This record gives sequence, C-alpha cells and structure tokens, in this order.
Amino acid sequence: MSRLSRVLTEATAAARSFLRRRTAVFFTFFFPVILVVIFGALVRTQPTGGGLFAEPAGYYIPGYLAVVVLFTPLSRVGSEIARHRDGGRFEKLATTPLSRAEWLLAHTLVNVAIIGAASLLILGLVLAVTDAALVVSPALVALPVFIAVAVALFCGLGAVLGALADSQDGVIAASNTVALPLLFLSETFVPPALLPDWFLPAVAASPLTYFARGTRAIVHEPGVWTDDLAVLVVLAAGVLALGAYAVPRTD
Amino acid sequence: MNETAAPSASTSASADDATGEGTPSVVGEGIRRSYGDVVALDGVDVSVEAGEVFGLIGPNGAGKTTLVRALTGTTDAEGTIRVLGSPPDAVDSRRIGLLPQSFGPPERLTARELVDYYGGLYDDARDPEAVLNDVGMGDDADAWYETLSGGQKRRTCVATAIVNDPDLLFLDEPTTGIDPAGRRSIHRLIERLAAGGTTVFLTSHAMDEVERLADRVALLRDGEVVAVGAPADLIAEHGGDPRLEVAMDGSNPVAADLEAVRTALHTGETAAAVDGPAAGSDADGPTIEATTDGLRVLGVRPEGIGAVVDALAAAGVEFESLTWAEPSLEDVYLRLTGEEFSPRAGGDAAGDAVRRGGDR
Repeated sequence: MSRLSRVLTEATAAARSFLRRRTAVFFTFFFPVILVVIFGALVRTQPTGGGLFAEPAGYYIPGYLAVVVLFTPLSRVGSEIARHRDGGRFEKLATTPLSRAEWLLAHTLVNVAIIGAASLLILGLVLAVTDAALVVSPALVALPVFIAVAVALFCGLGAVLGALADSQDGVIAASNTVALPLLFLSETFVPPALLPDWFLPAVAASPLTYFARGTRAIVHEPGVWTDDLAVLVVLAAGVLALGAYAVPRTD
Repeated sequence: MNETAAPSASTSASADDATGEGTPSVVGEGIRRSYGDVVALDGVDVSVEAGEVFGLIGPNGAGKTTLVRALTGTTDAEGTIRVLGSPPDAVDSRRIGLLPQSFGPPERLTARELVDYYGGLYDDARDPEAVLNDVGMGDDADAWYETLSGGQKRRTCVATAIVNDPDLLFLDEPTTGIDPAGRRSIHRLIERLAAGGTTVFLTSHAMDEVERLADRVALLRDGEVVAVGAPADLIAEHGGDPRLEVAMDGSNPVAADLEAVRTALHTGETAAAVDGPAAGSDADGPTIEATTDGLRVLGVRPEGIGAVVDALAAAGVEFESLTWAEPSLEDVYLRLTGEEFSPRAGGDAAGDAVRRGGDR
C-alpha cells in the first residue's frame, strides 16, 4: 500500500506537471506526426524499387512507433533528472520515503501513458495517410506490451543519461546522439539488407531492433514475436535497474 | 576552534545511544568534505539536543549548506555522523524534514498540490490545509507555484518540509526573500514547532532571526566552527560593548573633535558614567571611533548617555541624533568572521580610533 501510494503520488505530480506544459505536450505528439507525414505521405519510393522507403508501408509502422518509444522517454526522463537536480528536488526527495527506484517507476508509468497515447495517434495516422494495412490478430494485444516494455527500457537509459549529463542542454545533446543512430540502425526504417554484413552485430545489439522485429511480426508480417519480447523484457529490467541506481541522491 | 563551549565527546552523549529523548538529535564529529582542492568542511564537530533550535550562521561559502547536506545524507562526508541515532543515509525519513537552500519544486503545481504531493510520500502526513495555514498560504494555495511571489514560494517550500510533522527539521535559509510579515509568520511557526518538541536545525543570514529563535548558535567560518553557544553567551563573550552612535551634521569628524570629546569624557562625573570596553574598568576607558557620519562611543551605559551629550557639548561638537545599541549576534558574527566594518579602511579623516589613556 505504502509503496504503491508513493509511486502514484509521484506519478500524479509528474503527469500534472507535464500536462500543464503545453509546448512540451504539443511537440511530444507533433514530432512523430511530422515524421509520419514526411516519410509516410510525401517521400516516394524510387521507380526502380531500391533505396530507402522501398518496403511496403506497413513495414515502417514499427519505425514510426519507435520514434516516440525511443526519443520521448530518453529526453523526458533525462531532462526531468536535470530539472530535479537543478532545483534541489533530489536533495529534498532523499529525505522522504520515496526511493530512487520508486521515482523512476513513477516517471516510467507517466511515460508509458503519454507514449501509449502518442502511439495510438501514430498508428491511426499511418493507417490514414499511407497504404499501410494492419494485420488484425489476437497477437495485436501484445503491441501495447511491447510499447510499455520498450518505453521502460528507454526511461532507464534516459535516467542514466540524465545522471551523466550535467545540464538539460547536455541531456538533450546526449539523448539525440544516442537516439538518432539507434532509430535508423535498428531494423526500423533501414532494412538490414541495406547495411554491410560487418555492421549487423551492432544492429543485433540494439534493443530497439527487438522492438522493431517483434512489433513488425505483430502488425505487418505475422511471425514469432515472443522471443523478441523476452529479450526486450530482460534488457528493460537490466537498464531500469541501472537507471534507478543512477538517479542522483547526493550532490 | 571553539572559544566558548565547543561540544565534545564528554559533553555529548555517544553517537550510538542518541535515540531517545534527552539525547542529542544530531551528533557529528570530525565532519570533513572537500570539493577538489576546496575544503568545504574541515573537521566540524556539532551536537544538537532533542527539542533544541540550533542556529548555524556564517559567511557565504563557509560551509553551512554542505554541513546540512552532510547531516541529511545528501552529500558524502568523512567523520562520524548520527542523526536520530542512525547514520544519515539510514535515518527513518518519516522523522526528518528538509528545506534545501536552493529548492525549486515543480513549477506548474499549485501550492496546495505541492503540499499534497510531498505529504503523499508519507503514510500519515498532516492535513495539507492546516500546513498551508501554518505558513500563511491558505488564501493563495490554488495558484501555480511559478506565479507566486518569492516570499510565497519560500513559504510553500517551508510547508513541504513540515508536512510530515518531523521530529527533526532542517531549514536552510527559510526566510530568504520573504517580507517582514512573512518572516514573522515563519518565526512564529518555528517557535510553535520548537514548543511542540521539534528539533530545528536552522541556517540563516538574518542574525536577528537566529538570535530570536535559536537556543544555541554555531558560527562557521572557512569550514570550521569558530564559536558555539547560546546567543546571549556569545554576545557577552564576543559582542563587544554597548555603543552610542553620534550622527553629526553632514560632516565627518576631525581628529580634533575626537580628542575634545575624549578629553571631556575623561573629566569629572562623566567618566564615572561611561565604562570602557571592559565594563567598569576605569583604567581603560571608552573607545571613541569615527564613523562615516559621526562618532561611535563604545562602552556607554544607558545612564551614561547624558554624560556623553554633555561631553559633546563641552567639546563644541554639534550632532543630529544619538542612537544607543546593545551588542547583538550580528556584532559577534562580524567580529568572528573578520567582516567587522571599520571606518579606517576608508581612510577616514579622523584617523584611528582614539582610546582614552591608551593611544596618546
């Protein structure tokens, strides 16, 4: 009861705080919408069929989802840590019963809710403005699980970046540096066939790859997704634990 | 180190049994903390009794906030520290409250939501409405934190520190930026908390505040405690003499004025009414100093003011006003931190202070 109550209290404060920053809310949802419109509706495949965006539109659904699943938690949790540190909030929270793990869990829950809503928006938009078709099957219920687990993973990574960077500017720069390569080199927008063989182990090392493979096996090319989810869960647990440890307590 | 009553192992309960009433709430021995080459705390000993209001004063950069952080476990420090009988990072957090010096809570929550939020982190927090009323924020509780004035913000932050009804409360400069009425409400709050048995560890730059509220005060300078004791004891030992400020008519005193007043004070009944720096010492009479706008006569008892007026008249010195003041904690602070104002530093026309019978 007590732990749950603390987590809900922290999550409520974090959610209120976020929802009242209209600019942050607007761009959290607008950013992926822009990408969907640009790459889903404006960019056209080469007539010869090669190059980027040559796959069927449904292939890229995991990529569009990955934009919010990856960028939003990284930048939000990282920035939140920088804001907390600048405002002495961790110093204050260190003298309350709220633990670092509870703090991260609360902010992860808020991100799961926000990104869940953004993912719904993206999915609807992709289906509306592209030729993509969604494979409707019982496996579709696992899609929110993939999103939640991946968000948790990148919240943990965001916590690590926030703890390592010494300012909000630093957090943004660091999260962009980490997120951009991950986004394009994790079987999201760039199929592995377009990459050199020697780079494929790096693709396999990216957690986002398992998100892309798993969600693609659900929404585009039906296949086995449980292995990818298992890998993602293990990675998320590890990175979340690391992130909780990294959340600052002392100066 | 301490010239008055330094806490020591013999005067404090041992760190391990400091858990119940009558034993110290805070015991720190040899606390050290460095940031690179900068030594913030250099072997600080501190002991705060249960139910005591303990004031910590010192110049900017003296180490006050670092000491608060060391005691609350929010910085890693060397030395032995026990807070409510436990190491700082193992203290029962329900029993302590903290207002950090630089504290900026989420700005787009209302004051009520902020108190509710921090209270929600405890199982049995106080009623937020009562806490808001305690700090005088009951009528402004629905405004976002970012729209509050500086004083309202600080009072809201104080509210977040007391919402769990702590046994030990750390307040790091609680009245910074608060207007006099707001400060007074915080003072009354601290007095009420202390009367209810809460131990308060208070840092402040407002000497009148510390003098009014604290049972004991420690003065920190360059990471070391240079004095600790009850305000009255510190003032008696380090505060110097009562003083009479003589504001002259827009002109600085010249050496002749000082000499004439000194001579007049030395004669007849006047001398008997005016003590020297060591009260009652006839051999080492009152000190007369030049100030930026007149004279300062040290060691004047209230009943000796008339004698000084007579001496001024006898010396032909015209003045606009007289202000008599007892020594205060601020004098202790200025004296022990080496920040005491000296008209000599400005190359005053009257030159050095003239001491009767001493500096001729």
